[in-house]
Amino acid sequence: MFASIGLAVGIIVGLIICVLLAKFGNKDGAVKSKYDERQEAVRGKAYRYAFYSVMIYEALMLVLEIGQIALPLPSYILHFAGIIVGCIVLAGYCIWKDVYWGLNNNRKRYAVIFLVTAALNAIPVVPMIAGKTTLDSGWLNVIVLIMLAVIGIELIIKEVVDRREAEK
Amino acid sequence: MKNLKLKAARAAKDLSQAQLADLCGVSRQTINAIEKGDYNPTINLCIAICKAVDKTLDELFWE
Repeated sequence: MFASIGLAVGIIVGLIICVLLAKFGNKDGAVKSKYDERQEAVRGKAYRYAFYSVMIYEALMLVLEIGQIALPLPSYILHFAGIIVGCIVLAGYCIWKDVYWGLNNNRKRYAVIFLVTAALNAIPVVPMIAGKTTLDSGWLNVIVLIMLAVIGIELIIKEVVDRREAEK
Repeated sequence: MKNLKLKAARAAKDLSQAQLADLCGVSRQTINAIEKGDYNPTINLCIAICKAVDKTLDELFWE
């Protein structure tokens, strides 16, 4: 009972923090990012690819489960990894097609949010690596850190590619 | 196909891609994609671009 209330409160607090961070990250204080017509069209494609990726991932999980092939991680972590796979595909495609940043996004503020998120996710991982805790849920943070690393690296690569093209 | 007429009209107005994008309410990359011929804008965006560079639709987008 108390665990359920705690979970519900945690989700509500999490959503409120997301709204506040979005307001902080956008130049006009809006919660939603704004995109132009080309960005909307390309993002639609990105969502489609992300959906296909999650479907393929979940189908694979299903096959493994039916085949009773045991994986070393609990099933809730594997399903969470599926969501992250979708996020990585979505963000990756958007970055490469120049539609990751909205018209009203403040990139510097988003970089701060990005780094704070990475730091908060690293906190439970450090004792896990040091072997001081065997808490499985630490893997959730590891997966989020992997996603942040992939997105961060891709943003840097895209920035370098764009600069080289501009110099040409 | 590259839209060189748009590029020339923008240059004549001494506007950068970013400045034209701000005037039209789109991203710089979208203006770049139109100039490179990678994206076909909607009629609404075509009109916004024409107004920003003081040209007609025919002058910029008709071959």
